[in-house]
Amino acid sequence: MNAIIDPRSVQADSAPAVGGLAIRHVHKGFDIDGRKLSVLEDVSLTIAPGQFVSIVGASGCGKSTLLRLIAGLERQDSGDILLNEVPVAGPGLDRGLIFQDHRLFPWLTVEQNVLLALSNSDEAATDKRARVASLLTLVGLDGFAQAFPHQLSGGMAQRAAIARALAPQPQVLLLDEPLGALDALTRLRLQSELQRIWLAQRSTMIMVTHDVDEALFLGDVIVVMQPGRIARILHVPSTHPRDRADPALAPLKAEILSLLHAG
Amino acid sequence: MRSTLQQRLLPLLVPGLILATWFAVTSGDDFTAQVLVPPAAVLDSFNELLASGELADHLRASLSRLLLGFGIGSGLGLGFGILLARSALVNAFAGPFFQAVRQVPSIAFLPMLILLLGVDEGFKLAIVAKAAFFPVALATHDAVKGISKGWLEVAAIYRLSPLRVLFRLILPATVPPVLTGLRLGLTRAWIVLVAAELMAAENGIGQMMEMGRQMFRIDTVMVGVALTGLIGFALDQGVRLAERRLVRWKAV
Amino acid sequence: MSLIAEFPPTSFVYADRIEDHDPPPAWLVALVKRARGLVLPLLLAAAWHWASSIDASMAYAFVPLDQVWERLLQLLSTGELAINAGSSLGRALTGLALGGLSGILLGSLMAGFPLVERLFGPLLQAFRQVPPLGWLPLVGLWLGSGEEAKQLLVAVAAFHPLLLNSYEGFAQAEKKHLEVGRVLMLSRWRSFRFILLPTALPSILTGVGQALAFAWISTIGVELLFGTGAGLGSLMHTAQMAGDMGVVLLCVISIGLMGYGLNLILSLVRARLLRWRVTG
Repeated sequence: MNAIIDPRSVQADSAPAVGGLAIRHVHKGFDIDGRKLSVLEDVSLTIAPGQFVSIVGASGCGKSTLLRLIAGLERQDSGDILLNEVPVAGPGLDRGLIFQDHRLFPWLTVEQNVLLALSNSDEAATDKRARVASLLTLVGLDGFAQAFPHQLSGGMAQRAAIARALAPQPQVLLLDEPLGALDALTRLRLQSELQRIWLAQRSTMIMVTHDVDEALFLGDVIVVMQPGRIARILHVPSTHPRDRADPALAPLKAEILSLLHAG
Repeated sequence: MRSTLQQRLLPLLVPGLILATWFAVTSGDDFTAQVLVPPAAVLDSFNELLASGELADHLRASLSRLLLGFGIGSGLGLGFGILLARSALVNAFAGPFFQAVRQVPSIAFLPMLILLLGVDEGFKLAIVAKAAFFPVALATHDAVKGISKGWLEVAAIYRLSPLRVLFRLILPATVPPVLTGLRLGLTRAWIVLVAAELMAAENGIGQMMEMGRQMFRIDTVMVGVALTGLIGFALDQGVRLAERRLVRWKAV
Repeated sequence: MSLIAEFPPTSFVYADRIEDHDPPPAWLVALVKRARGLVLPLLLAAAWHWASSIDASMAYAFVPLDQVWERLLQLLSTGELAINAGSSLGRALTGLALGGLSGILLGSLMAGFPLVERLFGPLLQAFRQVPPLGWLPLVGLWLGSGEEAKQLLVAVAAFHPLLLNSYEGFAQAEKKHLEVGRVLMLSRWRSFRFILLPTALPSILTGVGQALAFAWISTIGVELLFGTGAGLGSLMHTAQMAGDMGVVLLCVISIGLMGYGLNLILSLVRARLLRWRVTG
């Protein structure tokens, strides 16, 4: 529990043993006007516990669908998705999901929104509130517990959504273009925040994004998707915390961009 | 195929059951004719009223009151609504009183109007006009107020003629909300007219029902209730149809 | 800032300033502006009073205002006004509770279960076409003109707006919010309490407002038309029969004030319950 608040208690070598994902030969299609539209074709991917994986690709390449399959909101047509060797069947608290639109409930305060994510926990109410308070500190929302979502800026609302997703202590955090709706400056700041939170938390994180720089700044592994399939999986040699200007990133960026243009 | 047929028939299930129960309980001697008559008796009564011309007389009386009263009330409402929106003076002097009187349900004015105008046609026309006046005036006021300054500025920039401003801007912007107000006014006028006829009238649907009640003619009352609903429905749908025809550019 | 500097205040603003050498205090201006609203009612009252002084027959319809005042004191001192107003209020609120709660219940069931909607939707739609007071002769035949009949008619009036609005409210729950509920593994009850109910609440409160207005109108209507028992409508009915315009007038004013008051209380409740919404 302390792991959430105290980054020092988690060392790089004590990465959690849980939170490993295996995606094997997954197919997924949708029926549109009676016609079958294939979105994912034979996608396979293995993600080690504690890894930060960035998935980049153009709109409509199926990257969000892949995330929703892992979240259990959709069901694949064939293939397997295994979390800690166990098949995923429906949503579960071991996986958190952050949407592009923050999806906070407008009728609840920030604190109530995060508390709601703890409704399946048996903890005493005071413990829950203390957890929520430390989560809000972690995401930099001290003093906003009693605010309603409409009183927050876009960046602050997304911070609250991150706190909500982290509250049940998921092994895997799924981020579906979490910063896509924010302005450029807020985006840069929240990228650094995400990095800090991940270093503090060290759960597996899988982020879908359009932004190649964002993918490179945060990811250990970059999955480049072309419509329906994985084009390439790249490992980023640089360590965390990362420097945006790290020269090792430049050739990777060029390679990703050429792959995206080719697709 | 079967499932769509089921879907179609499902809504008829409950009304069918009610009708069947009605048939069943009235076929025995459990109920006297003063409490419940068989469905057939209601239909007979309807046919009888229709054949004798009695029903037509009642309908004519009610509808002519409605149309005349509504015409007066909505016409005044339109004019007053425009004045209220356009003239600061009218708004300052008449606005508060208008808002105050609006709080009182039309039906509460019935006894007062009867004392002032007697039980003849006058009070019925007055109450129908009153019921129509307020929703129409309010909707007109809001519609005129709702003409955006931005649009008027656009019109000024393109130097549109006053006629063009009227037909291209003011009417299209105000007609939809005013129609909604007219629909509301018509519905309220009908409701209050039925109440007024129940209270004091020589003819009309409301009076027919009231007589039926006093004579324990449940069949007549049922015909009246059904007709009241049908007429209300038809009036509402009629204005809605006009709304759809006139306001085709609007989403929804 | 620079934008404002580029557009200096227009000249008539200056003209206004120059004329006002010694401006009256703001509260006085506000008071005078407000007071203009009283001119019309006062003129009408004066015309009324004048009409009553023409001759005896006119005084019958247009009761002199001092008599109305006497009536008011009399109604207040005997407690008649309070008793009848309380009776009407109780009837309206009971009807609102009975009819409104059944409306919300059925409306939410219809939104949640398409079968219920298909079974009862068309029938209720048909019944809704008859105005609440249109049922009065039939209900009068079946239940007489006592309290049950009145209560039923008021409840029917409150039922339909809440049926409609709660149905629409619950039906518009957003998929994206329900999806969050799935991700957070919320129980059925919690999904209802924290997602469905708040989504439907604005619509339900709109329905409560309409139902309250309908219940109040119908309460006055049934009391007036049945003319039995206590209630402002009955009081007015009796007064009309006795040709007592003073009491009728006082009843009309009381009915308007009480309707306004009820509405005001509801809007305060609304503001409190919906304070999470963006305002303005």
